[in-house]
Amino acid sequence: MRTLLRRSQIWLHIPMFLLAVLFLAPLLWMISTAFKAPEDIIGGLGTMQWLPRPATTENFRTVMGRAEEFPIWRWTFNSVFVSLAVTLLVLTVDALAAFAYSRLKWRGRDQIFALLVATMLVPGQVLLIPSYLLIRRLGLFDTYGALIFPAAAGAFGVFLLRQFFLTIPVELEEAARLDGCGPLGILRHVILPLSKPALATLGIFTFMGTWNAFEGPLLFTDTLTMRTLPVGITIFQGRYNIEYGPLMAAAALAAIPVTIAFLIFQRHIIKGISLTGLAGR
Amino acid sequence: MSTRALPEAIQAPPSRRSDGISGFLFALPHLLLFATFVLVPVLYGLYISLHRWHVLAKEHPLIGLGNYGAALSDDIFWIALRNTIYFVVLIVPLGNLVSLLLALGLASVQRLGTFYKIVYYLPVVISIAVVAVLWRWMYNTEIGLINLYLGTVVGWLRSIGLPLAPFEPLPWLSNPSWVMPSIALLTVWWTAGGNMVLYLAGLSNISDDYYEAASIDGANAWQRFWAITWPLLRPTTLFCLVFSVLGAFQVFGQSYVLFTSIQGGPQSGPARSGLTLALYMYLQGFRQYEIGYGAAIAYLLFAIVLVLTILQFRLLSNRDDATAKA
Repeated sequence: MRTLLRRSQIWLHIPMFLLAVLFLAPLLWMISTAFKAPEDIIGGLGTMQWLPRPATTENFRTVMGRAEEFPIWRWTFNSVFVSLAVTLLVLTVDALAAFAYSRLKWRGRDQIFALLVATMLVPGQVLLIPSYLLIRRLGLFDTYGALIFPAAAGAFGVFLLRQFFLTIPVELEEAARLDGCGPLGILRHVILPLSKPALATLGIFTFMGTWNAFEGPLLFTDTLTMRTLPVGITIFQGRYNIEYGPLMAAAALAAIPVTIAFLIFQRHIIKGISLTGLAGR
Repeated sequence: MSTRALPEAIQAPPSRRSDGISGFLFALPHLLLFATFVLVPVLYGLYISLHRWHVLAKEHPLIGLGNYGAALSDDIFWIALRNTIYFVVLIVPLGNLVSLLLALGLASVQRLGTFYKIVYYLPVVISIAVVAVLWRWMYNTEIGLINLYLGTVVGWLRSIGLPLAPFEPLPWLSNPSWVMPSIALLTVWWTAGGNMVLYLAGLSNISDDYYEAASIDGANAWQRFWAITWPLLRPTTLFCLVFSVLGAFQVFGQSYVLFTSIQGGPQSGPARSGLTLALYMYLQGFRQYEIGYGAAIAYLLFAIVLVLTILQFRLLSNRDDATAKA
């Protein structure tokens, strides 16, 4: 691809840079608004100030100071806890399952795996109503279980890890078997150490996906203290729908952790998408 | 690639011995989760959709296809379907065009590539709740960033003598016919980076030799794109289109955050202009508590998506075969 458009790099950079500005502008505006005083936001008609003058943390204090109405720290804790728990659970059960579908031979294996793959085309919304009823019946409604277990049930991670495990030479496994390793030993000492890139990709995607998850937490929880950040923001918006300063402060608080995680892991993430065909959520 | 990849992928290499029950035991933890929260719900949802099922009612009488019949004769269902299709028609070509252009730019640029890639991808990692709250602020008619800038640009163009009418603030979210294009625009911003990376991966699989040979033959950039890039990129395009359609039909968060979550506003946008199938399922199932009806809407959505996916694979992969033979 390098040879395409080689001579006209500057004419390439101009639109690319303008687009980069357009892509960044909404996020910068969110942060700018979050640090502005209310009169600068509402009275800012036509001023379009990008640098808040004077900058104030008042909006953040407003967001954090209404703990009974908007327990933002509790929502943050819920988001962190649930995202970590789902990531850990997915990595564990999906690695075990992927090992079973790629390296072990058992009756019904290929039929069950075909069933897993087939369900990947089912729109998530088809599952919402029946899952809601099942969660109620299982006594999980409005608990961490409701936020964690359904989020870890999909087939995608199994599919992804299995495809990766299949690329590991069988000879390595045979050698470990001769050394007296059982299936669990082979998984621990041969497969997993060689699968770090795939595990990292799955882990990061699961974490980001759970952090941003919206429909599940909206429907499977009920009380204010069991909400996660994305749902919490919409609750906040419902009450303060024209107070853009506090609203943008809340939005920034929810967006910043996942943005930092992305910037740290961006190489893995972008490589992971091209390897797996997973384009986000 | 494309359709043929799947059956191949399903077959694991044959193994000489059987691992007996232990194989199943390794798969069991995931299978339990999968069965409880995917497999059972898929079947249970179908069962629910065949009943008149109000959450608070004690009895759930079987009514066969009654809910489906009710949906097909429900004007609001048709509004939701029309809005959803309108959104799909807007977002799938536009989103894929933007993703492809960004990827072509990234593949050609020699410096700053990583910077551009990170910036274009950044919105993808942000929750729809944050995205929609933010865009609702930018779409504000009086003091939203977009109208402020458009007003400035129009004013400037008038001042240099262009015969333009004075700027009228655009009713992004308040005029029914603007709502779906506005949602599509914010969705392009939110999702373009995802497919961009896939197109970029597809582009990097095309050998430089083709371009060099074409350059020697005197082909210009445009001819090289149509003769080399476009046909060789078809498997990627097919993949992106299929999953864009699948995702676009499920549009929910945008309308929910922009309209439904606002107390005292119209629940599904002005004149129901933001009502999508998924939102209608939510409103019926979780606001009206008619979960039988909601489940039927979800299954109609499923049926539409399934038919479209099969059609796309048929249409696009046949052409894929034709070009492979040619």
